[in-house]
Amino acid sequence: MPKVDVTVEVCGMAGDGTIAAGGLINEAMASGGFSVLGFDSYPAEIRGFGRCVARSRIGSEPILALGDQTHVLISLNDEQSGVRVPFLAYNALVFFDSNPPVYLNEKQSVAAAVEPGMTLIGIPFSDLATSASGSARGRNLTALGGFAAVCGAAPELFRNMITKKFKAKGEKVLESNLKSFDAGYYYALSNLSDRMRPLFALPEQSDVAGRLIMSGNEAIGKAALDAGVLLYFGYPITPATPIMEYLAKHLPTRGGAVIQMEDEISSIGAVLGSFYAGTRAMTATSGPGFALMTELITHGVMAEIPAVILNAQRGGPSTGLPTKTEQSDLHAAVFGGPGDSARIVIAPTNVEECYYYTVMGFQLAERYQTPVIVLTDFYLDNRVEDLPVPEASEWEKADGNLYPAADSKGTYKRYAVNESGISPRAIPGAEGFAYTATGLEHTERGTPDYSPENHMLMTEKRYRKIWGALADLPAPVEFSARGSMDLGVIGWGSTFGAILEAVDTARSLGYRVGALKITSIYPYHVQEIKDFMSRCHQVLVPELNYSGQLANVIGHLCGKELIRLNQVTGVPFSPSAILARIERILKAGAL
Amino acid sequence: MSEEHFVIIGNGPAANEAALTLRERDSKARITIVGQELKGQYKPHLLPDFIAGAIEEDDLYLTGPAFFKERNIKLRLGQKVVGADFRGGWIILEHKEIIPFSGLIIATGARPRIPETVQIFEDLMLTLKTPADAKVWIDRLSEVDSVVLVGGDLVSLSVTDALVSLGKRVNFVIDEESFWPVPFSYEIREQVARRLVARGVRVLSGCRLMRVRRLSATSLEVVTDCETLHAGILGAFFGLIPNVKFLSRTGLDIERGILVDEHLKTRFDHVYAAGDCAQVYHPAIRNYWVSIGYENARLLGRIAALNLLGGKFTVEVARESIFRMDSIRVNTSWWMEL
Repeated sequence: MPKVDVTVEVCGMAGDGTIAAGGLINEAMASGGFSVLGFDSYPAEIRGFGRCVARSRIGSEPILALGDQTHVLISLNDEQSGVRVPFLAYNALVFFDSNPPVYLNEKQSVAAAVEPGMTLIGIPFSDLATSASGSARGRNLTALGGFAAVCGAAPELFRNMITKKFKAKGEKVLESNLKSFDAGYYYALSNLSDRMRPLFALPEQSDVAGRLIMSGNEAIGKAALDAGVLLYFGYPITPATPIMEYLAKHLPTRGGAVIQMEDEISSIGAVLGSFYAGTRAMTATSGPGFALMTELITHGVMAEIPAVILNAQRGGPSTGLPTKTEQSDLHAAVFGGPGDSARIVIAPTNVEECYYYTVMGFQLAERYQTPVIVLTDFYLDNRVEDLPVPEASEWEKADGNLYPAADSKGTYKRYAVNESGISPRAIPGAEGFAYTATGLEHTERGTPDYSPENHMLMTEKRYRKIWGALADLPAPVEFSARGSMDLGVIGWGSTFGAILEAVDTARSLGYRVGALKITSIYPYHVQEIKDFMSRCHQVLVPELNYSGQLANVIGHLCGKELIRLNQVTGVPFSPSAILARIERILKAGAL
Repeated sequence: MSEEHFVIIGNGPAANEAALTLRERDSKARITIVGQELKGQYKPHLLPDFIAGAIEEDDLYLTGPAFFKERNIKLRLGQKVVGADFRGGWIILEHKEIIPFSGLIIATGARPRIPETVQIFEDLMLTLKTPADAKVWIDRLSEVDSVVLVGGDLVSLSVTDALVSLGKRVNFVIDEESFWPVPFSYEIREQVARRLVARGVRVLSGCRLMRVRRLSATSLEVVTDCETLHAGILGAFFGLIPNVKFLSRTGLDIERGILVDEHLKTRFDHVYAAGDCAQVYHPAIRNYWVSIGYENARLLGRIAALNLLGGKFTVEVARESIFRMDSIRVNTSWWMEL
């Protein structure tokens, strides 16, 4: 079977059903056994204006990142789609409405933008949808029907997903959507025989059992449920809001609740209170909300109270770029707040890891009695991937609390100093285990004490505890042929997929390169990172921030200056951009 | 920056030459070519070779996708013009896009002609004008071993060679409209018939197509006034007629083609026509003529462009070999409407 690697893009105005159409492509193709990575971008403003783009990279082999070029553009709004043409492959297919409701000028027509070599495929989306279902609302599905016919994507995959999506809305709604899809499908079969381009030969052994497709935010929500979270406190903010929505749907069915707080300060306060009382809780926010939380996060550090905070990064600073991606909260996550407030920061790199790292976050928070920050970003939260159904083990979901021994009743020291730095934590209300949880520096019993000796002792204890967590934190993962390399590329978060694809390509071109994935941002695995760096003649760290925040944190481990590749365009790295930098570095080194 | 926007409808030799001439003389103007074909300009005389498998599809095309982009000429392929307002200065595309122009050259070429008497059988006939047509031939030829050709224009002779080279049985029905629009003499027609017979082709000379009937997916019954034939494909080669139907309600003067003066200008300022779609006024004979042939089309395209830019060039068509078969050769450059 020929290798499939096709990027499809649906583009329209907010309200055109663009994201819904993209979602159906993702689900349909994944159900056919393809590997899928989908990512939507949409305006910060509410429905009615602004460009929406749903991109899906579909492959017969695992997909690690969005592709560089789009092979199929489905235009639901020509004016918006025209600006996407420069990102199309030279021989791309462009589907568009060949009989729009109004006349267009050149600037409003995608047909005016396409280049020779690309193939325009005009289908009267609106007319067909209206004829089929009585309304033009299903024109996005008509467009999908045309796409399925021309590109050789099995229509049953789409019909199944449309049924799944609309079944709950009643027979009439489902039927009209299926008719809209079929109208486009059969129109294309009958009228576009000269433009057929079968791109999607189904994988011969498509084993889709036990696999599903989900977004990063859905994976985080599911992880929270599986980890036994009962309470979610939050304040809506892009791109974290879908987590709140997911849990609002599911938590009440298991006796839990989602409570929308007045702001992020109260949200983190409530999460700390819940954990303090022995109930798992979480909050999710983005940069501006995270900034508000920092004081109380350090309270959690000082009082040694668990908390799980998901920071879904977006473009910043301040309100910044709400619907654009960036990795620029790493410093804030690791160092934000007053004092030496060490906390655990972990960063998944794909949707599957979003699940497992979130579950892990609860375990770590309880085990190390500290706020744990799970650092994702817009690109990771909103993208969908196909993955094996995630299911945390009992061990991963287990209660991580270290409770005081019964015989310490009456002599209990909440902040007992010991080798691990982890002091047994009693749940308030337990007779004989009372203590004061305070943000003031305190003694082992929790009473305020600002003496130099005590502050040194307690600060060391807290840091010892956090660095001790390395025993439970995932070590960096190396992707190389081992041995020495001309260039090592270190990455974190959503960027790592593009890094790995670029490195794989570079290796296939004969370059001696390797990649290192770091998911434990703080504390970090000093020896493993040092070992990798020492075997690389040069080290490159691509990041979606301007200041090179991971490079700033780990740069001191490298005996040489790190090479930085920083991008703050609001869009993810493309593998080719990283590959180009790799080749430039290595060619310059060869001179 | 220049406000000029020159639009050329068509993507054949006249259109392409016009675009290149405009760019050569005006480096700043916006130039747009709108063509209905999905790919760029092709070499029509190679279509029979493509059918015969002697060349690859890519060999049919003159320029790659980048050719016009490098010259800052916007090439819009697979897009169909359906109307125009020449006084208002805009054309309209099938997908409801309006394109304004300050100068327009219509060079839409010609399309296969099917005589009125047999138009009811059009769906059962194959013609050959574009690469897409050639692909249909290739597809159908893979399933059949015999072909009937009717009419007998210039293209059909090359197609006959291709079919013979593929080992197909060919019946060639030549009637009095053969070689249309060139008024060949009976002697030349019979001479061509003899050459065809020498190549193993069965010729029915002086016979007329009466009706066609599909017997099965791969079999047709072709009835002439001489005899009834059976074949897998019926190829119709009755010449070409200007491709101007879509302009019929735009106010242009149209007979068989678009009527233009000796400078290729239509009745509208800044609107010219060139190539196979034009009927050009000849002051000497005080009548209109049409031309065929690649070089003629290019020449007309160039003149139209020069005149659109303010020139006053008149057409002087070079004699061109349009037909050659063994020792039979006919030279012509233009002719009157039959």
